Amino acid sequence: MSLNIDSIAGVFYGYIPFGDIVFYFTEFSLIGFIIALFFTLVVYLTKPEKQLEFQIGDFGDKLNYVSLEELKIRRLMAIVCGICTAFAMLTGDLFDYALFLAVIGIANMGIVSAVKKEGVLSAAFYYGIIAMISTLPLFGASALILAKTGTLSILELAKNSHDLLFQKIIYAVGMVGETGIAPFYAAKAEMFRAPGAPYILMIHLSSLLIIVRTVEIMLNVH
Amino acid sequence: MDIIILNNIYHVIDAISYGLYAFLVGGLLLGFHRKIIARIQGRPGPPIIQYLIHTFKYYLKEISIPITAGNPLYIFMALMGIMVWLTALYLGVVFKTSLLILIGLYVLQKIVEHGCGLSSGSPYGKLGGVRSVFSAAAEVPLFAAVGIIYILTQSLIIKDIISYQLLNGPIIFKLPFAAFAFFILLISKAPNSPFGIVKDKSIVSGYITEHFGILESLILISDAIAWFVLLWLFIAVFIGPIVILNPLLTLIGMVILTFIISIICALTPLLTPNHSVMLQILITALVIIDLLHKSATI
Repeated sequence: MSLNIDSIAGVFYGYIPFGDIVFYFTEFSLIGFIIALFFTLVVYLTKPEKQLEFQIGDFGDKLNYVSLEELKIRRLMAIVCGICTAFAMLTGDLFDYALFLAVIGIANMGIVSAVKKEGVLSAAFYYGIIAMISTLPLFGASALILAKTGTLSILELAKNSHDLLFQKIIYAVGMVGETGIAPFYAAKAEMFRAPGAPYILMIHLSSLLIIVRTVEIMLNVH
Repeated sequence: MDIIILNNIYHVIDAISYGLYAFLVGGLLLGFHRKIIARIQGRPGPPIIQYLIHTFKYYLKEISIPITAGNPLYIFMALMGIMVWLTALYLGVVFKTSLLILIGLYVLQKIVEHGCGLSSGSPYGKLGGVRSVFSAAAEVPLFAAVGIIYILTQSLIIKDIISYQLLNGPIIFKLPFAAFAFFILLISKAPNSPFGIVKDKSIVSGYITEHFGILESLILISDAIAWFVLLWLFIAVFIGPIVILNPLLTLIGMVILTFIISIICALTPLLTPNHSVMLQILITALVIIDLLHKSATI
């Protein structure tokens, strides 16, 4: 197997040829996979916190509860997000990875969509628009890479040089919008103000793990 | 068979000892950091061992869990801090594995900060957590720096990066922008730093406001190990084997770096969240331009 992956993501342990989709295991991907799954378990087990809010122009604070109906849908979305993040750590296919990213974006919106707060819903709406627009560069870059090289397999693309700098930049732009990091984080940070710590935290965890994984892919594919 | 078991026991003792060493060195350096800041501000300051005393004191204090807290996340976050930095210590400093894994572990620190703040239910913790999300802009230059290092050394394995420097000299002179980005990260992580918006005193103690007793002690232990790991990483990746192969020189290097960072922290005011993020984005742009320039020229 290509030494390029070894020198970026640590020891290469092997791969599973799962039809067209290939999952591969390196030190980095295994750690990411385990962290994402472990965190999903913690999110499943954790009860949402009761958020204390200041009252402007009034005395006293207000306790915000997460109702059972709200909890159920948000927990489900957080678990979907966690599972997608975990398998995005392992996948060896660029299109598959883009699909995982798109599902993570949808799940992120789902996590906050049940919150009945205008500010939070507005933020989710803006993030949704950015995420939708970002699917174009994300899948477009995948298509460009496929057209140029004839493959979307990261393992194949890592073997030889294909001069993919432009395509990689577009792919990275898609990831930036989809995960809502700088300069798009403003809308996403507003989403974090919603009560329900474990679910909100899953949005953050998935974004960070995806960013690091994208860096790994960008370095592997060359 | 007995020899294998005995060897395993020795390995476990070695690992625990090294963890303890990292904590003690990191704790003393953070105490030294506080002392320097105090002296620059014309105060005598606390003794250098104050950080360790604090950690020990909190460890023995009674713990109570706020009624607003979301458990077990509230407790798990403090443990996760220790888990993250001990993993970084062993994978990075001991096994010298991929830099990318260490960056991945570093970003998990953001989850710890965010999780501590949110899971407590406190408005101060929540503000600290949200600010932690804002200040994630500090990590972006780090990813670009990793890319630049890879372009130069053709490897992200720390062992390979050290070997590269053995042949070609310290990377700091070849990649000043990447070194600068990493140095900014060190400053961001330092207490009382201009980028320290997550622990701003206007929001009490930020994300650790509601974590006290043994949980605060665990967070302090993880912060001390984090300081040791980050300083070691900077020295290993940018200065290389001249310093890192000698434990005494490594310690001296860490003291010098802490001294420089302390002076910067003492002489600069705390930035507002907006200014902090804007400055970090500016540094990001600088490093990304450097990365694109290096990618295009190779």
